[in-house]
Amino acid sequence: MKVKVITRILEANDRIAAENRKLFNKAGVYVINLMSAPGAGKTSLIERTITELHRKLRIGVIEGDIAGTGDAQRIEKLGIPVIQINTGSACHLDANMINEAIVDLPLKDLDLLIIENVGNLVCPAEFKVGEDMKVMILSITEGDDKPLKYPLMFQESSALILNKIDLLSYTNADLEKIKKDSLSLNPNLKIFEVSCKTGQGIAEWTEWLQSLVP
Amino acid sequence: MHEVSIALSLLDIAERYCEKEGYKGIESIGVKIGKASGVMSEALLFAFDAVKIGTIAEKAHLIIDEIPVSGFCSTCNNNFSVKETYILCCPRCGDTSFRLETGRELDVCEMEVFE
Repeated sequence: MKVKVITRILEANDRIAAENRKLFNKAGVYVINLMSAPGAGKTSLIERTITELHRKLRIGVIEGDIAGTGDAQRIEKLGIPVIQINTGSACHLDANMINEAIVDLPLKDLDLLIIENVGNLVCPAEFKVGEDMKVMILSITEGDDKPLKYPLMFQESSALILNKIDLLSYTNADLEKIKKDSLSLNPNLKIFEVSCKTGQGIAEWTEWLQSLVP
Repeated sequence: MHEVSIALSLLDIAERYCEKEGYKGIESIGVKIGKASGVMSEALLFAFDAVKIGTIAEKAHLIIDEIPVSGFCSTCNNNFSVKETYILCCPRCGDTSFRLETGRELDVCEMEVFE
């Protein structure tokens, strides 16, 4: 017997993401889902953001990695509550992993929660985790062809951080092309040119981020 | 790349449905996969065959309906359908003020079940 069952395949994930969102709203915490390829500078940006904002906002971090606790140790040194999720083999964080992790976080005592997704330009963009906003990093050394090769992440993100901008003159990357292609995919994308190494552009990013946190 | 997660979600939907309606098994599951959904049909078939073992869908086969990318451009008043998995501008006039109408689907449509 054939039966019609019209359901979005990711409905289960979206349902749990909505539950997470409710918990975040109730606790009054603003949540960003930070995504990029491996090595683009997610953890470095989080360190810079914490250093800049920890006197103004109470910040917590969830670290997603396939294996290892190195990233969480880096954040812990800054005296910030952090939970490490090891996904084993999964290439992204999903809503259920976040749902289980937040039990161990003092949500009520936080203003801003930064979720560092698994390093990957593809899958994390597909899975909502209950965030207020998705933010992606593209490092200049990855090349200027990435927006058109991995369009979904650029379309889903509210902000694009162009990291390692201090290395621009050492590469063949065309900064204007990156910006133009990114904006053609997503005209509302907010773009920041930063260097987590030198600190260039970090203040603009953190001021903007702080303005979003209620 | 995340086809295993998609296959597990699919299985979860099918299992919940059969449990609720009292069906004992599934012969087939029909899904719509948009060309711009980021999911590869071959990888999804492979993943589904791996995760269905030992479940109510053990004998089920997956029937995939691939949906092409189509949309409407308001600048040149054009309905279009393309072979590409992604488009950045209207294939006729090149303007970016178009909206996608199909191609992002990731849906279960029907199942063949038995009691």
